Amino acid sequence: MNSSNEIPLEEERLPSLVPPYIAALFSLLIPGVGQIFGRAYQRGFVLLGSFITSVGLFFWRVMEEGRRGEDLLEKFQKAFTLNSTLIVIAVLIGILYLWIIVDAYLIAKQTKTNPLGILFLVLAVFFIIGWQIGEINPVALVSDLDEAADPLSRVIWPWSRAVTYPEELVIAEVDIQVPCTDDPPPELPPETPGLPYISVDPTCGSLSDQDGTVGSELTIRGKNFDPGEKVTIRWEDPIGNEFRQRQEGAYVTPIPDEDGTFEQKIIMPYRLLPPSATADFYIWELKAEQVASVGAPEASVELKLAVEKIIETIFIGMMATFFGVIIALPVSFIAARNLMSASKLTLVLYYLVRGLMNIVRSIEPLIWAVIALIVVGLGPFAGILALTIHSVAALAKLYSEAIESIDPGPIEAIQATGANWAQIVMYGVVPQIIPPFVSFTIYRWDINIRMSTIIGMVGGGGIGFVLMQWIRLLDYRAAGIAIWFITITVAILDYVSAEIRERFV
Amino acid sequence: MLEIRNLTKVYDDGTVALKNVSFKVEDGEFLIIIGLSGSGKSTLLRCINRLIDPTEGDIIWDGVNLAKLEGEELRKARRKIGMIFQHFNLVKRSSVMTNVLSGRLGYTPTTQSLLHRFSKKDQKNAWEALTRLGIEDQAHKRADELSGGQQQRVGIARALMMDPELILADEPVASLDPVLAHSILNYLEKLNQEDGMTIVCSLHYLDLVQRYSTRVLGLRDGKLVYGGTREQIRSMTDEEFKEIYGEEAQRVTEGLEGSLEEIE
Repeated sequence: MNSSNEIPLEEERLPSLVPPYIAALFSLLIPGVGQIFGRAYQRGFVLLGSFITSVGLFFWRVMEEGRRGEDLLEKFQKAFTLNSTLIVIAVLIGILYLWIIVDAYLIAKQTKTNPLGILFLVLAVFFIIGWQIGEINPVALVSDLDEAADPLSRVIWPWSRAVTYPEELVIAEVDIQVPCTDDPPPELPPETPGLPYISVDPTCGSLSDQDGTVGSELTIRGKNFDPGEKVTIRWEDPIGNEFRQRQEGAYVTPIPDEDGTFEQKIIMPYRLLPPSATADFYIWELKAEQVASVGAPEASVELKLAVEKIIETIFIGMMATFFGVIIALPVSFIAARNLMSASKLTLVLYYLVRGLMNIVRSIEPLIWAVIALIVVGLGPFAGILALTIHSVAALAKLYSEAIESIDPGPIEAIQATGANWAQIVMYGVVPQIIPPFVSFTIYRWDINIRMSTIIGMVGGGGIGFVLMQWIRLLDYRAAGIAIWFITITVAILDYVSAEIRERFV
Repeated sequence: MLEIRNLTKVYDDGTVALKNVSFKVEDGEFLIIIGLSGSGKSTLLRCINRLIDPTEGDIIWDGVNLAKLEGEELRKARRKIGMIFQHFNLVKRSSVMTNVLSGRLGYTPTTQSLLHRFSKKDQKNAWEALTRLGIEDQAHKRADELSGGQQQRVGIARALMMDPELILADEPVASLDPVLAHSILNYLEKLNQEDGMTIVCSLHYLDLVQRYSTRVLGLRDGKLVYGGTREQIRSMTDEEFKEIYGEEAQRVTEGLEGSLEEIE
């Protein structure tokens, strides 16, 4: 009596074509076929399909992992040793195989069975295989975190790269007579107040020699240097070769104290004099150099470039939207079914345009950019072209759908007044389609700006181009600046476009 | 004078909407067409001003066969035939004024109208039409901000702008309540009696038919099944009633105040 109220677990089936044990035998040979003969067609085909697919994928993974094995058996051994998850998959597929046989038997026996269990098993097999193919490795998220932390922090807070301080090389020099003779040693140069200055005591001495003779010790006293910045000590020999003073295997770099003064003792270096050097003495120069920052901080080259490129990016998006709208407007009328169903010819045109637009839209702007830059070369124009092509296809679809959904009533009424075609469009169609058109256009503009930030990665101009470059140069701070700019720009435009759309529609 | 001869309309999907319909409408008549939904009333009205192209037959209006006109000539002929719709068919996002002025499109050169320019005279007439219908203070509102009754008045004002000799009204009060229905039909009656416009109107309610019509036609399944004057409709027999509305229909009250109610 209540049978009509019961909700059946699955559709009522006709009796099986074969007895239960034959169905089980069929599924033993080819999984799923038993179910098909038991008239559970859908279940049979789904099981057959998923079993074949999972076994195929499993073999592919085994061949991949065990490719060093000589024969099949060895390949399996290698694969199972190298990747124990494959064993789990093999076991699950085995269970699935047995389950399908039992299922075929039960179905042929007209037993009500719940398909959820077997579907869950199929899903589990695919999940594990997918995990393998996707090389999913959550450990990688944390294993190299200490190494990743530094570049990441530079990306996240890159602003030290945004400014540079103008620098100037200041040099103080003193003549040194090599070696000391009876002649009076060179006098110290005159001191200019405020400018870096060094005095050396004495101003003559002999070089270290190959035979182990240690050179003379000189004492350098510097003043008026920038406190805390390294000072480089350099020699210039009589023929103009420069080299840095080393001591105990390291360059000598005195650091001036708070008053800008330093004192540094040095041993005169070893230098081989050429045989032609026959004079009694030569005058060498001892220099103290310091890179000093002068003046206020300035915007860095990277910051300037990022600003320039983000402006370029915004305009790429804008121009692409502009061209996209101009082309999409007429195209959308051809792609509107209600306008084109008047005759066979226009209907054919409609299908052609619709088909073309669907193909164009299914190709991503990044791919269009690659194609465009073959034609027009690297730079923003390629990006504009790519985004325009995609915008035309996307907008034409949205516009034409807006046209298709207009109310035919007002058009009929305008037509009845004796208006001609242009007047009907202007008074009956345009007022109805302007709000959706404006909305779709702003939406597209939003998308185009977003896309233009990455279109440069393939060479389409804009900030993506320099971002990619900085990432490849491992200049994470500069890349961080670009990412900040992109984020801020997109966020602002997102907000603005939402506001405009809300006002307009 | 409007004369329909052997009008037949078969839609592309094979539906026969009108079968060999012939009748005459004298100037100054208030002709009401009755019939069930789907009986062909709307198709008939739309055939007259060629919003729908008839399959066969002639529509003679002032000695011109509208059924044979094309392009510019058809548009010129349409200018003298105003039309009012059940769902008002206003451009909802345009202002009331623009909607009314669009009635002049047939008289306005294309270039001017594309710039939304209408002559001073048209603008003055538009104000007068709105004033006559009592909605002049709504002129600058968007059409969809108005109530149903007001929107239908805008629809009438738009038709009036065409300076029509014939008004086609396709169930003009079917979306309105009874009070508004009377007020709208009152306007049409005024236009008929004071301005001498011929009116062809389709209606559902027999009480309204008896109140306003000078002559009545009944359509059933695309065929003309009834024709009578205002006096004759008062004495419509049950047979005639069933001829129009079918065997299953039932008159709620006999005779004069007859109204239609369908039963299962």
